[in-house]
Amino acid sequence: MYKYILRRLLLAIPVLILSSLIVFGLMRVMPGDALIALMGESGNVGEKELAKLRKDLGLDKPYHEQYLLWAWQMVSFNPGYSIFTNEPIPVALKKAIPVTLELAVLAMVLGLLIAIPIGVLSATRQDHTSDYVGRVVAVSGLSMPDFWLGTLVITFAAIWFHWIPPIGYVSLWEDPWRNLQQFVLPAAVLGFRLSAATMRMTRSTVLEVLKEDYVRTAWAKGLAGRIVVYKHALKNALIPVVTIVGGQLGVLLAGTFVVEVIFALPGMGRLTVEAILYRDYPVVQTNLMLVAGTLVTLNLLVDLTYAWLDPRIRYA
Amino acid sequence: MASSRMNRRKFLGWSAASMTAIAVGGVRAQASAQGTAAPYPDWIPSSTKPPKKGGAMARASAWDPPVLDPRHTQSVGLYQFAGLVHNRLVRYAFSDETGSPNDMTLKGDLAESWQNSADFRTWTFKIRKGVKWQNVAPLNGRELTAADIKYCYEAYAKEGVQAFTFQEIEGMELPDKHTLRVHLKTPNVLFAHNMAEPVAVVFAKEVLEEDGDLKKRMIGTGPYILKEHTRKVRVVLQRNPDYYDAGRPYIDQYTILSTPDDATRKAAFRTGQSDIIWMASPSEMETIRKTNPQAQMHAYHNTLAPFGLALAQDRPPYNDVRVRRAISMAIDRQKQVDTVYEGHGILGWGVPWIYVQDTRPTAKDLGPYWQYKPAEAKKLMAEAGHGKGFETTLFYYEYFPQMSSQVQLVQQDLRKNLNIDIKIQKLDYTTYYGRYVEGKWDGMSWGFQSGHAVGLDERTYHYLHSKSTKNFFRVNDPMLDELTTRLRQTPDAAAQKVITKKIVDREYDQVFRMWMPYDNGFLMFQPHVRNASSRALRRTDGYGSPTIARTWLEK
Repeated sequence: MYKYILRRLLLAIPVLILSSLIVFGLMRVMPGDALIALMGESGNVGEKELAKLRKDLGLDKPYHEQYLLWAWQMVSFNPGYSIFTNEPIPVALKKAIPVTLELAVLAMVLGLLIAIPIGVLSATRQDHTSDYVGRVVAVSGLSMPDFWLGTLVITFAAIWFHWIPPIGYVSLWEDPWRNLQQFVLPAAVLGFRLSAATMRMTRSTVLEVLKEDYVRTAWAKGLAGRIVVYKHALKNALIPVVTIVGGQLGVLLAGTFVVEVIFALPGMGRLTVEAILYRDYPVVQTNLMLVAGTLVTLNLLVDLTYAWLDPRIRYA
Repeated sequence: MASSRMNRRKFLGWSAASMTAIAVGGVRAQASAQGTAAPYPDWIPSSTKPPKKGGAMARASAWDPPVLDPRHTQSVGLYQFAGLVHNRLVRYAFSDETGSPNDMTLKGDLAESWQNSADFRTWTFKIRKGVKWQNVAPLNGRELTAADIKYCYEAYAKEGVQAFTFQEIEGMELPDKHTLRVHLKTPNVLFAHNMAEPVAVVFAKEVLEEDGDLKKRMIGTGPYILKEHTRKVRVVLQRNPDYYDAGRPYIDQYTILSTPDDATRKAAFRTGQSDIIWMASPSEMETIRKTNPQAQMHAYHNTLAPFGLALAQDRPPYNDVRVRRAISMAIDRQKQVDTVYEGHGILGWGVPWIYVQDTRPTAKDLGPYWQYKPAEAKKLMAEAGHGKGFETTLFYYEYFPQMSSQVQLVQQDLRKNLNIDIKIQKLDYTTYYGRYVEGKWDGMSWGFQSGHAVGLDERTYHYLHSKSTKNFFRVNDPMLDELTTRLRQTPDAAAQKVITKKIVDREYDQVFRMWMPYDNGFLMFQPHVRNASSRALRRTDGYGSPTIARTWLEK
């Protein structure tokens, strides 16, 4: 097992290097110039001023030097400053990561709370009304885009209940009740979408597992239906579900931008997308590498979870 | 190119609008009909009741300040509150000091009085005594002196987005602690007006000297102290108890909540989390009024259009005035007003009409080339040797959803009437901005003029003179150079009006800037908000933010 983990960690290095090259290269080939946007608001784009700023930021160096400098900054955990705001990137990340993490975890929990019971119910009541309802819910979740559902939720909450989550993010430690109010709707919107795929996967794998011999044996032994389904069938049915959930967590960490915008949450999505729009190279590069690193780690964790769920799987 | 695609904003706007309409009881498709007919006032007179002190006001805002340094941005994201933390040397009259939204009388802000020399090259400002910097370290409430303003103006001239304005200062003297004498390189009768621009705020010398920039702290002499600025979350302003205008401001706390999504801002207003909201169109406003019938509203006083078709007029075919005139006449502006702006927009002009005439211009006032005359346009194009049309490009950034519709209508009009085939490029902000201000592009762009400017000098000399760095439309006309220079040397108001009219007429005749219809929309206030109405060329939620210092809550 340890050898396996070590090997996976070593394999992650070329993946991360390749990711960094892609991220760095993409930012350099994108049209638009952060410095002109920064300096040029009133037409005062002086060549001298631009050249000075480029030099100060190291953007006048050849690309390979810029890349090596940035790679060193990343390795030494000193990613530098935002071109646009002059804020140290670790400070910006320290503010944005907890928001996205909280949103992702809550969405994931809500998604699983919806998906697994409904998926199991759908499977055990195949072709009954509850199965059809469950499948309709799943298809709805897959069909409704976040921006549409989020907009409807916030608009109708305002019209029907004269309430929307309090605007102006506060951290969980600062004011837990206010924080919970701010996160419940966005997490529900995200969770609903996530639950769709998980529910469909749970349904189909549970259906498959229910046809296995050992489940038939469990029934034959006279075990209660709840025990057969939840103790014997579900655990084995969860392996593909874990793969999906692991991937979803990665997507959540990188893809909550729309929900963050609608619910005015200052998370990683907003930080990254706004940095892309302003060509804030250091911020974009750091954030994307962080996402890449997180995805690599999550994939590793998913693989390790397999072994826990299915002892037959061994990593020699 | 995304000319005919249903994009996210359109889809979202359409969905939200339709679903909301169903929810509130079947609001019919009210777009054009209501917009055209409904009389929306563009002015809320000041309240006659005595102001009440206290309370907190909040506003869900689309904007976030890119930086806190007024030298480095003219973004409305910053000036939605920078004018409340700082003061300017002089200012325009507030709503409660005048009876008209068009009154552009100057009043003293940090300056008590001012005088100019006979040749308008020397301006002497007497600084108000007893003005204190906010009681925040390192200023700690020390007195403001003329030297502070000299330092600040020198810093503006040295670098940043306001350099062009301040570089016309040749030198400054300080005859005493409370007198600032400014010597200009060339005469300018409108210099004081330039110092009243919303962006010409006086910042603290100590902050710049200690920090090396103004990106981290904002300390001023203004009515509100910046208590908190959390990027992408909120800006919290607290009443400055030592403000020189005793008794003001009235509201204890003003919070600006960063709310990038339009639907969320509307929901915030509906639920009372936001006291002020801007609406783009009559139909949107009417939808909100269904749930908030007591809300106060007024139409923004449209005096100019900030956007228009910019042509690469320094090269063929656009350096031929006949081509420019033909293109302008082939565009049906009224159709854009009626469809895109639901009948509420203006046809489009660049210099605010209040400097030229007493009433809002009609199509006739804009001259022959602003009229929709496709047959004449075609004839003119043929005369210019382009009877078969040509292919060109147009790049733009979608500042607001209506803009894409306008771009598409222009594309259709020019294809239909002049056989001009436009390839549209919709760009992201940074790409658009960089390309546009660099000024080396070919073809067409959906151009802009800066939104902050109030003064006549800024709107004429700064934007039209060939030597100005703010001349984004690449106008290069000796006659306009002469007229805009003469305007800033003409002290008499009536004579200024005559020259401004000549500038405007020349612009229309030569079609240097092809202004397009625009509507600055509507402002809505919660029923308890008093004295928050904006005036010409400013919006309370934007560059007109100092109005908040005179706003109070009737609760």
